[in-house]
Amino acid sequence: MNYGNLFKYWRTVLVVAEMSVRQQLNDGFIIFAIIFQPMIIAILGLFMLQGKGADYAMFVVVGSGLTGLWSSLLFISGNSITRERWSGTLESLVGMPTPFEVIVFGKNLANVFQSLLSMMTSYLLAAFLFGYSLSLTQPLLFFATLFLSMFAFICFGLTIAPVFVMYRSVQQWENAMEFPVYILCGFLFPIALLPDWTTPISYLLPPYWAAIALHGTSTAMLPFSQIAFAWGMMLIFSIVDLVIASQLFRIMLYKARVDATLDVD
Amino acid sequence: MNAIEVEHLQRVYRAQIGIFNRSIKEVVAVDDISFDVQQGELFGLLGPNGAGKTTTVKMLTTLLIPSLGSARVGGFDVVKQANEVRKRIGFIFGGERGLYWRISGEDNLRYFASLYGVDPEVSKKRIPYLLEMVGLKGRGNERVGGYSRGMKQRLHVARTLLHDPDILFLDEPTIGLDPVGAREFRNVILDLQAQKKTILLTTHYMFEADALSDRIAIINKGRVIALDTPGGLKKHVSDLSVVEVETFGAPDSVVEKLRALPFVDALSVEDREQKQMLLIQTERGAEAVPDVMAALEGQRVGRVIVREPTLEDAYIRLVGDSA
Repeated sequence: MNYGNLFKYWRTVLVVAEMSVRQQLNDGFIIFAIIFQPMIIAILGLFMLQGKGADYAMFVVVGSGLTGLWSSLLFISGNSITRERWSGTLESLVGMPTPFEVIVFGKNLANVFQSLLSMMTSYLLAAFLFGYSLSLTQPLLFFATLFLSMFAFICFGLTIAPVFVMYRSVQQWENAMEFPVYILCGFLFPIALLPDWTTPISYLLPPYWAAIALHGTSTAMLPFSQIAFAWGMMLIFSIVDLVIASQLFRIMLYKARVDATLDVD
Repeated sequence: MNAIEVEHLQRVYRAQIGIFNRSIKEVVAVDDISFDVQQGELFGLLGPNGAGKTTTVKMLTTLLIPSLGSARVGGFDVVKQANEVRKRIGFIFGGERGLYWRISGEDNLRYFASLYGVDPEVSKKRIPYLLEMVGLKGRGNERVGGYSRGMKQRLHVARTLLHDPDILFLDEPTIGLDPVGAREFRNVILDLQAQKKTILLTTHYMFEADALSDRIAIINKGRVIALDTPGGLKKHVSDLSVVEVETFGAPDSVVEKLRALPFVDALSVEDREQKQMLLIQTERGAEAVPDVMAALEGQRVGRVIVREPTLEDAYIRLVGDSA
């Protein structure tokens, strides 16, 4: 791949992301997944931790934002290919000269970007409904972490979508995969509260490292060395995800062209 | 060099059947077809439902992998060099699907232009030009969900021309359009033909294929059963005349009795609301009318016309002979 192509693909990613946001902001389910559900979780968390101080409130704000990110990744990015297939646009997309994974990357960027709305909504709730004065202890590190987390989530989403298409039995477990990840990744409370045997599972989930780093930089709970370690893990997982995704996309598209499953007809 | 070269192409679909005793059922959709399309030619592909037209187009547009044989489009192999093929072709599959209904027509075009790799500066000029060309000037900023079927079809044409491809695949593009919309659409195809685009058109409408195509291949049960110019195909029935008889509620037994008459070469029935039109191909021309009327005794009969055969009659004979 030359740099000209990279620039061209990046431009395409941005156009795909823009069009995806425009379409999805008209979709009631998506509004629920990225705004209302995290809002409900944030209200519950803020009630439960009322009077415990601003650090706890910030933990809830970031945690509920992460729930929005994960739900968006699981339900919107995970189903992005299936949805294109049902709407009859998958053939048009596969028949384009742009690699299909570039298109899905753009869609995931849109999903992850718009799910930041859930973090903003939770912040506004904590500030105005519960009266907390919230500030980020390490804003620069927090935003750097947020950027890296978005990238890690997008890459993770690239592996989920083709798996859901190729193995429909995995997709049947989609709903059951939502809350366990909230818990195992420590979105709303530290995983130290869980039994020890669950810890290795948490380490294998990229959202766990995003949660560690985001909680750490928003509340000054962690030293920089641990934050840097979480960044490193996110980068490693992202690279591994990209390699796996490129193979999954190649296999999925070849199989779809052999089995004639690009369209529902 | 030909724009499209198809050699011994075959496509087999495999479907799992049964719940307890599962087995694989194989259906041969395209069975060893070969043809070439010259540059700038408008090539028609005709055939009944399930003949293999759409499967052929999907293989040529890289969306399906052939089971056997090979095809080259624009000089590139459709399997091994799929991406090179995709840069040079545009395709439309009939119907309303394949567009994003929640965004505007213009946004749809901007999106697809980006996916075709069209430079944003070029697409800024090209999108209004294409919207005007397909008759959607002034409607581009409306949501596609509010478009009529004809408008969506025309937007499909604009989409497929965004990167100015040399080769176009139009799979039943006028299906479901009203007569005015279909005629406007045919004018768009004629414009493209005038621009020397190579076009492969599949259609059910004989007059459309007759009016537009330089050459036509008729396929049935996955095989090419005839390939010629529209005039050449009509010669297959030049020895025949067609007796058209309008009937009202003639039962199948009467139609079968007619079909069995020795001078009837082929017979097809078109249902038109309350009435049926019996199209009888015969070498006897007007002389056959008394015998036809005798066979229809007791039935309510309307107009009876004897006319020269058309492409549709040639198609009926060819498809009937290959059945």
